[in-house]
Amino acid sequence: MDRNSNQGNQVPGGVCLWLVLACALTGCATAPESGRWVRTGDPIVDGKTAIAQGPARDRVLWQYRTAVAAMRLGQFAEARTLLDDALATLGGIHGPDPEARRARGLFSPEARKGFLGEPYERVMAYYYRGILYWMDGEIDNARACFRSAQFMDSDAESQEYANDYVLLDYLDGFATVKLGGDGSEALARARKTAKLAQPQDYERDANLLFFVEFGRGPKKYAAGEYGEQLRFLPGSSKVKAVRMRVVDRVLEARPYDDLTFQATTRGGRVMDHVLANKAVFKQTTDSLGTGAIIGGAIMASQQGHDSPVDEIGAGLMVAGLLSKIISAAATPAADTRAWDNLPQYLSFTTSRLSPGDYDLEFEFMDGGGNPIVDRTRQVRVRVEPDRETVVFVSDNNP
Amino acid sequence: MKSKMMAGSAWWIGLTLVVLATGCASKGVKNPSGIGVTEMEADEKGFVAGTGIESQDLVAVTDKMARSILGIPQIANALTPPVVLLDPVLNETRFPINKEMFLTRIRVLLNSKSAGKVQFLARDRMAALETERNRKLTGQVTSTSDARETEFLGGDYLLTGTLQGLSTRTSSGTSDYILYTFQLINARTSAIVWEDFAEIKKQGLEDASYR
Repeated sequence: MDRNSNQGNQVPGGVCLWLVLACALTGCATAPESGRWVRTGDPIVDGKTAIAQGPARDRVLWQYRTAVAAMRLGQFAEARTLLDDALATLGGIHGPDPEARRARGLFSPEARKGFLGEPYERVMAYYYRGILYWMDGEIDNARACFRSAQFMDSDAESQEYANDYVLLDYLDGFATVKLGGDGSEALARARKTAKLAQPQDYERDANLLFFVEFGRGPKKYAAGEYGEQLRFLPGSSKVKAVRMRVVDRVLEARPYDDLTFQATTRGGRVMDHVLANKAVFKQTTDSLGTGAIIGGAIMASQQGHDSPVDEIGAGLMVAGLLSKIISAAATPAADTRAWDNLPQYLSFTTSRLSPGDYDLEFEFMDGGGNPIVDRTRQVRVRVEPDRETVVFVSDNNP
Repeated sequence: MKSKMMAGSAWWIGLTLVVLATGCASKGVKNPSGIGVTEMEADEKGFVAGTGIESQDLVAVTDKMARSILGIPQIANALTPPVVLLDPVLNETRFPINKEMFLTRIRVLLNSKSAGKVQFLARDRMAALETERNRKLTGQVTSTSDARETEFLGGDYLLTGTLQGLSTRTSSGTSDYILYTFQLINARTSAIVWEDFAEIKKQGLEDASYR
């Protein structure tokens, strides 16, 4: 009787504990999550809404996305503001960061950290800002951005793939030439790393600069049993070159850099080791839990009720269940948030025209050298007398 | 035995609760109420810092340069205040900056501390100045002197500078060294009459989750 009554008293106690556990878990599931907003389809409006109302950890991501969307729409002032804010965040990440520290914790996903992007994404933020500086006539600041962009690519696991953006070295040298310096060293570096197309000699008196991009950049996905491995899906591009008719001159821009190549040659991240450890923890606690539950169930079923072995078995089952819960709470998934409107290829070319207004034609060519239907664009350009005119050409331009 | 088992189970549950509670606590937003505005001195290292050029660097460098310029004989012993023209600083670092701030601060320091020992030209305001002179010439506005005479001053010296950098990034962190050099050049002879430098090196390592 006593034993029965004891059992009767214990059950509600256990239920209470499980209820507390359930509440605790429910609490985690509904943790504060700002960031509900409605898409309108306008990339600038949506981007600005996401920046203002979305999760703070995604702020830089949306600044990146919105900035490049703005550039493709010709809203360069908007892009300038967004990139300045994003780069201010990117430039000040040294030292302890509580959210980043928590992202390394067993029970916090990597995606809880503030997004800054993988190196190829950080490179592109500086690259775009460099274009905007050049548009404003601040060539030395443009060069600073191209140097910082290359710098972002300098800690690749294999040194063969470090600092290997052809265009960034090329632009570094070209900016130096434009500032009256010697850009030959940077040009030599660019030519040494070139794989897709050899950079042309600098056109020292060029006053028309074409920053060209095309295709869709790489996408991220998580591989591994628990999604702990960050992987990239290659980008794609029907466009293989851009042909420009500049008055009586025909220019062709072939890609210098491939963002899929850059994304996939960075090598392992330090964070990959952290995520691998999380995955091992998750797997171990899950296996221990399974073993304990099965072992406990076997023990509990071998002898009569209330025997010592039965109780040990029950204890093992509870411990196993807890181990399973801990395993379920571990979050080794890699952060797959990505700057998803990047191009696949980057290119650049120059020309010289007398000051005035011109109608230029851009043809996006396929692999066979044929213009792709409906991709030809007409752009009106004003060439100023005492400065370079920068034209941003993208096959994603409307 | 049974009580031991129950105690063991309770211990496990308690441990789990602690772990879960810890996890939940870290789910909250950091500083949900925000951080009040903190007013800091411009030469003070703030709690937001990178390895780039920051306000404390600007203050330290321009203070040093202004003091150094005032000590040279061409300024200190000049019978009439030399006229200095500003030529934009050249940025060769990897950091895009508003480089005009360096010369602006040096100019303001010299104007405010030198008690008239040096004059600067407002060449960046030439358009407005020429418009005003043309108004005087056409009689649209009054003039206290003969507007036909050119009174815009020419520069005796050119003040300029260069920012150069060396940057390294490895798994151990990021290191940025910036060399700030400034020169005062005789506008007539091209002789460099004064030159000084400042150098600042910074290193940092971001959280492992960003590496």
